[in-house]
Amino acid sequence: MAAPADVIPRRPTLLLIVVLGMLFFLMSISTRTRYIGETRTMFERSVMILFAPVPKTVNWIGQSLSDVYHGYLDMRRSVAENLQLHRQIDQLTTDNLRLRQSAGDLRRLRSLLGYSEQFTMMTTMAQPVMLDTSSRFKSIILDSGSNSGIEVNDAVVNASGLIGRVVLTTKDMAKVQLITDGNSSAGVLVDRTRRQGVLRGDGSTGAQLYDIISLADVREGDLIMTAGIDGIYPKGIPAGVVTKAEKGQELFKSITVRPSVDFGSIEEVIVLHTRKVPNDVVRYAP
Amino acid sequence: MRWLRFAVGLLIALTLHSLLDSFFPNSLAFFNPYVILVVYYSMGGNVFGGIIAGVIAGLVQDAYSGAMFGLHAFALTVCAYAVAYINSRLALRGTLAFGGCLVGAVIVNELVIYILVNILLKQKVEMFEQGMIVKTIFTCLFGMIVYLLLALFLREEPIEATRRPTGW
Repeated sequence: MAAPADVIPRRPTLLLIVVLGMLFFLMSISTRTRYIGETRTMFERSVMILFAPVPKTVNWIGQSLSDVYHGYLDMRRSVAENLQLHRQIDQLTTDNLRLRQSAGDLRRLRSLLGYSEQFTMMTTMAQPVMLDTSSRFKSIILDSGSNSGIEVNDAVVNASGLIGRVVLTTKDMAKVQLITDGNSSAGVLVDRTRRQGVLRGDGSTGAQLYDIISLADVREGDLIMTAGIDGIYPKGIPAGVVTKAEKGQELFKSITVRPSVDFGSIEEVIVLHTRKVPNDVVRYAP
Repeated sequence: MRWLRFAVGLLIALTLHSLLDSFFPNSLAFFNPYVILVVYYSMGGNVFGGIIAGVIAGLVQDAYSGAMFGLHAFALTVCAYAVAYINSRLALRGTLAFGGCLVGAVIVNELVIYILVNILLKQKVEMFEQGMIVKTIFTCLFGMIVYLLLALFLREEPIEATRRPTGW
């Protein structure tokens, strides 16, 4: 049944007044509770609880989308960062290898320098450019020659000990006969007992100590040093270690010596410009 | 069905409210989705329903805003009543009419809030005129777009869906 046209506005107007009055009352309560510190009325809390799922869901979706977006950004950043770190690792590895190489070089050179300082004679640093230890004739070629003051019969050593002597020089190269060469010989002594002998190369990887009488006290492990009596090698350079000492066939012992230098790993050497014994002194016959 | 549409609209308005608060804080100073909902419902000419819709939408807005509880409900109820009363006699229809009602509703809404805040809290609303103009423009534009989309979606005059039943 349709209501009369003039009645329709009145009832809602009354309702409006009532509702507005109630809302005004609600606002007054709300205002008062705010002043005393309680910010939410029970009615307000009820409305919030009733509609709470909506903002929570929106917040959850927003947070999830944000997480996905930031996760994607983080992932991209991580990938880029990972690539960059890989490049850095490669670079650092290369640097590290170079530094290790430099540190090794430095240590070796320091050792050589310290070793060379114990000699009073002039010295020259040189590097081997060729190494021939395969045949019976053991030699190395150095990258310095007479231009650097290297002469024939100069002694060649490194931090480990005696290497050999210069047998040939050019202006910028020198050939060194190793103490393991079959034709090499050096005047040496046993460090412990000061017993002198002659060290000759065996043409292989070692050397033999000759002219040590059977009664002499020489044992395995004894250190062999240059004796400084051959006019070439200065005294006190380590030449090797006795690895075998046994009674020989005649009056002398048979002694095997392992050189103190590993000829397979020579990188720098020191050439000692030893004072040569003049020929007329050598050949003088009274 | 009419109240179901209102409930869905209220949930959408609250969702917008939450979204805007989360990503663009203070954006409700420029745009009010609850006014759009209330005007849309009230344009059916149902004064009683409009008042109820205004109260409910306003209370929800109050619950999730920092204002004193009942402030927006009061303002929206006044708006709803005015729009419904006019439409019960003139039966305004179409996007432009909806936009016009929105302009009026936003201005009334803001004026009522301004007066109530002044009376109850004795506080002056900062930049009231500028805020009202911006809010009117954005709310009106957004509301008209929503109206057009509804018209396309429902394939009929959207207001008809909220009209009071015969005999009310």
